[in-house]
This record gives sequence, C-alpha cells and structure tokens, in this order.
Amino acid sequence: MKRWVTLILLLAAVITLAYVFQVPQPEDVRPLGEFYLENSYFGDYSAKSPEVITSILWDYRGIDTLFETAVFFLAIIGSLTVFRLTREQEKEVKTEPTQMEPLPLPIRTVTKVIVAMILAVSASIALHGHLTPGGGFQGGSALAVAPLLIIAAYSKYALENNGLDKTRALILRSIGLLGIALVALVPLLSGSYIMQNQPIFPAEINGQLIGGSLIYYNFFEFLAVGAGFTAVFLLLAIPEEKFKKILGVRR
Amino acid sequence: MSEILFYLGAVMIIIGGICDLFGAIGLLRFPNFYVRLHAATVGTIGGAVVPLFGVALLALGADFLPHRYAIAGASFITGIIVLLAAPAGATALAYAAHKAKLVEWKPKVDHLAEVRGND
Repeated sequence: MKRWVTLILLLAAVITLAYVFQVPQPEDVRPLGEFYLENSYFGDYSAKSPEVITSILWDYRGIDTLFETAVFFLAIIGSLTVFRLTREQEKEVKTEPTQMEPLPLPIRTVTKVIVAMILAVSASIALHGHLTPGGGFQGGSALAVAPLLIIAAYSKYALENNGLDKTRALILRSIGLLGIALVALVPLLSGSYIMQNQPIFPAEINGQLIGGSLIYYNFFEFLAVGAGFTAVFLLLAIPEEKFKKILGVRR
Repeated sequence: MSEILFYLGAVMIIIGGICDLFGAIGLLRFPNFYVRLHAATVGTIGGAVVPLFGVALLALGADFLPHRYAIAGASFITGIIVLLAAPAGATALAYAAHKAKLVEWKPKVDHLAEVRGND
C-alpha cells in the first residue's frame, strides 16, 4: 500500500512539474535561424539540402565537426596502441583453435540474412545523409554492427578468413580519413576557403540532389567510422586464453 | 478500404499490448530460465512484431498522413527484422545457458534423449 502511495505521489509530481515548467514554444523563426535557412537551403550559394542540420554541421561548423571526428579517431588509435602485438603474436592471435563447436544452424542463417539487411540500411542512412536525418557517423555506427554480429554468431576467425582482418580495416579507415581531408582541402586549389561547399562542389548532378560536398563527407565518414569500429571489435574479440599465453600469465 | 485497414491495424496494436503484458507477467512468475525465455519471446514477437505490422496497416490507411508509405515500409521492414532476430537470439541464449550448465536442467519430458536412446 505504501509503495503505491509513493508511486502515485511520484507520478503526480512529475506531471505537475512538466505542466508548470512548460518549454515555451517559439512563435516564428528567429533571425539567426532565418539566416542559416537562407544560406544553407534557399540561397544560390547553398547546398540546397533539405537536411539543414547536416549542411550547417559540415559547412558552417565544418572545422568543429572535423575535430569531433578527430576525437573519435584518437580513441581508436588509443585502443590500437593498448592492443599492440609483435608479428609472431599477431599470427598466434589469428590461428584458429581446432575444436570449436559452431552455434546452432538457425542462428547462423538468420545472422547471414540480417547482416545483409544491416549493410543495406547503413548505406542508406549514410548516403541519404543530406536528405534525411542521419549521416556518415550514424551510418558507420550501424555498419559496424554487421561485423559484430558475425563475430558473435560465427567467430572472429570467420571474418579474418574471409579477408577482413585488422590491417584491412585500418586501411579502409585511412582511406576514409584521407577522403575527408581531400574534400576539405580541394576548395583551397581554386582560391576559396578550407571546407567551403558552394560553388566548388555542384549541388545537383543530372537533376539528382547531392548537396555539394555533403555526400562526399558522409560517404568517407561512413567508411572511416565503420572500419574503425570493426578494427576495435576484432581486437576485443581476441580470446582471453591467447592473451594469457602471450603475456605469460600463469594459471 | 482505409477503415478496414484502420480497424485491422488498431486490433493488431491492441494484441501487441496484451502480449507485452502477458510476457511481462510470465517473466516475473514463470519458474525457471527456459520457460521465462519463452515469455520474453512472446513479448518480442507478439508485443513488437504484431503491433509494428499494425502500425504499417494504420499508416497505409491514413490518407491525411504525409510520408505514409515511408512510415508503413519502415515499420514493416523493422517488424520483419525483429521477427527474424528474436527467435535466433532466444535460441542462442538457450543454447548458451544449456552449454555452460549455468541453469539447472530438470526436464519433465526429453524427446531428444528418447530419440537418441533408441538409436
């Protein structure tokens, strides 16, 4: 009985507080918002991207976003440093243990289907980043779930035997980073500012809206984030016994 | 046509709510891990997949809704993904619990052992 009274009191308090401290609804667009809309969606020198937030993130606050991305890559470099191994140890980590019982068939089959679906969905999130909410980082994070599922349902050796090992993932990540840097630096060649979008990159190609440089940024960020997460997941999936063997821990 | 879709979708969403309730009660009241896993799966399939399909039908029937085909398609695809993933996840959990011998195993009927015993 006492618990019910507490619960009802709590609920009443929450509802009352929500009623009293209502967030005031803005009646019209404020001047700053109007400026951003004019210059990122409507104007001649704009990306014409309906997803204005993406254009603001990469156009007006591009350097900010670049350094936010850099923080993520520093974190990945840090975890790679923690897991650094010599060449023999790398080989040891990659050798498959002999007796490994696979998971039941339904799990493996469903994982195959879902991995294919995740690849499609993540590509759609990233490549529609200039049209709908989402973008490179979100798409890349979704992409990284696919190798994670494969690691869980099969093993990390299944990924490595099919050609996606740590080195390849790092190469893909580096290609993504290089792409972001190049797209940021290209405007300098024609005497514009760094990370400038219009009018260097076309907003439309063959009538298809691609939002200037936004689609390139989204694609390369997608690649870099997905591959970076995959590299870390591959490292985290190394069995504990192998590390004990490498580090010489006595049982 | 849109009214039929509306009522069909609403009924499916109500079924989803009931399944969620039963799943929650089952999780609390069932005796052991394996039977509770069954209740949890009732909660995901009945309580997430069915109402997602219901939302898809509702969205198809709502003529006034902007982007209604996008909403219907997204709900339908999400429902199919959950429909595929939930049984696989439950299988993996049961398999792992049985394999690691973490859960006490007191079967009333064990058809697999009977079949294996007859071989």
